[in-house]
Amino acid sequence: MTSPLFMRSNNSQEGVLAWVSERLAVAMRQAEDLILRDYIVSAASQINAGGGQNGDNPTNFGVSDFSLVATTLDTNNAYKFMSGIEGMDRFGTGPVRSSYFMLSSTELQSDFDGLTGQGFLNQWNYPTNASALPSEYGNVFNIRILTSSEAPVARGASANGADVYYNTVLGKQAITHINQDGFSMNLIYRDPYYSGMLAQNATLAVKFAQAQAITQDTAIRNVLATRLSGLVF
Amino acid sequence: MAEYSRLAQGKFTAVTTGAAFAITLPFLPDFVKVINLGRIAAGAGVYSAEWQRDMGQGAAVLDTANVLSYVTPATGTGIRTVSAGLGEQMGPVVLLGAGGGITKNAGAPTVTTTAAHGLSVGNVVVFSNLYQTATTGMQQIAGIPFKVVTVPTTTTFTIDWDTSGTNYTAIATGGLNTNASFRQVLFPALYAPDDAIIAAVAVAADGINTKITTTAPSNVQVGQEVAFRIPRVWGPVELNSLPNSVIPGSPIYSYVTSVVDADNFVVNVPFASLTAFNANQPFASFPGLKFPQVVPVGDINSGGFPYNGNALYPSPTVFNGFQGSVTVPVTTINGPAIQGAFINATFQGFIVGTAFNPTAADVILWRAYMNDYNT
Repeated sequence: MTSPLFMRSNNSQEGVLAWVSERLAVAMRQAEDLILRDYIVSAASQINAGGGQNGDNPTNFGVSDFSLVATTLDTNNAYKFMSGIEGMDRFGTGPVRSSYFMLSSTELQSDFDGLTGQGFLNQWNYPTNASALPSEYGNVFNIRILTSSEAPVARGASANGADVYYNTVLGKQAITHINQDGFSMNLIYRDPYYSGMLAQNATLAVKFAQAQAITQDTAIRNVLATRLSGLVF
Repeated sequence: MAEYSRLAQGKFTAVTTGAAFAITLPFLPDFVKVINLGRIAAGAGVYSAEWQRDMGQGAAVLDTANVLSYVTPATGTGIRTVSAGLGEQMGPVVLLGAGGGITKNAGAPTVTTTAAHGLSVGNVVVFSNLYQTATTGMQQIAGIPFKVVTVPTTTTFTIDWDTSGTNYTAIATGGLNTNASFRQVLFPALYAPDDAIIAAVAVAADGINTKITTTAPSNVQVGQEVAFRIPRVWGPVELNSLPNSVIPGSPIYSYVTSVVDADNFVVNVPFASLTAFNANQPFASFPGLKFPQVVPVGDINSGGFPYNGNALYPSPTVFNGFQGSVTVPVTTINGPAIQGAFINATFQGFIVGTAFNPTAADVILWRAYMNDYNT
């Protein structure tokens, strides 16, 4: 994020303005992400995980769920995001298949760890993690998993009353995000002289217009899952 | 002092007797007044209600036939503001309780709660723990979002599903029904149209006009292009967009030819025969059960709404889970949009709770302010 140096001045509001504008810029980016997130949760179809053993609906993740969703997207001719990583002669590493991306909650990371040895490979166990994204947690079969604390969760909405996590798995052609000319990411500052008749208050705001679209509905699925056991924060 | 204040007023016609309703505004008010012209003309009922922020959310001062009363925030059935911006927000767990249950019925099972459920027609709920015994009950429908279809009493409501099948056991007193519960989906239609769970598929005599019933509003429009994802256990897989045996990989879509109401629409899709929809799933199959869905994927509309003498560029409308949006979708106050396009239906404003208790067709005037200054 670029620091809003353009608004530096010599008045006493400088520090406050700089801090608030930085927070506002973060909020603006998060707002973009959350809008896209909620849109995908609403518009894309769902697969309830059934490969886990917790007896809920959806169940916790089993490796067969990763296999099922990858099979579904492959059958629908979706394009994978990443080509595979060839195996190397390094202890504790293994090859990574060409993969779709899955966007998951950080709260599921312990469940993914529980699948180690059954198909889950942490990104530190990739032969090389040069292509791993900063938020990438690991890989199961043809799915590479990105985690975020902002991933969607419906609290207490499962058949047995547990939290339901929405894990969006997508092929390359699934969605697009459109920023309209002249309306992408405006951080607006109007000094007090322009903001009120008495020049008492400044205006600090963000404005953006965006459009998102599912360009190919067959190349995206929300896999719903619960956790194997309760969380302790 | 009028630098930041916001003022708004309008008119609303009650759709369902006794139900709460939402008014969408471009701001969050700190003062609301509603006047029910219908009740004043009748000389009975709640004439007006007033709320300001200092009372607390859910409170209100009611004028019931010229007698004032106060609804406390703890009761919560007065007036409150609403900011519906983030999806997947759920209300508190409401246990059906010792006297609670769900009946077996072919199309409108009755849900009974021991305490008042607080729901209105159009609200959306998700059930959990629908066990009668450890191995019987209605867990097959737990986790599905259901629209509240009718509210016969303060402790009963109905949903749209066929629970008459042999695999369903009524939830009733004397079993594990005390653990059964629901949570309200607070904002079920923030982005529309929406992926929806199919409750029934009815085929007309000509085999073309196929009526789809969903468990909650899908917000499709006439001309909408939809895809079906129906696992084989539910029956009519012929509707599915894939596989396509003629052009492999090319999805087969259906078009919406009419929208009956919030939960019913008709599609035209050619098929030689259609397997009957089967809601009677075995109880033991519920872990990991995948639900039948219909998904909006596009539309054939190329412009805005036809001009009908009102606004030239009207806001898109949605069935948003509140009264007023059951038979007729309500405006989002957002900018004009192409029919059938995905729209942002997030909203803010205020909700007038069940304490206001309007009668269907009552005309209600409302005013809402956001003041500059509050001490």
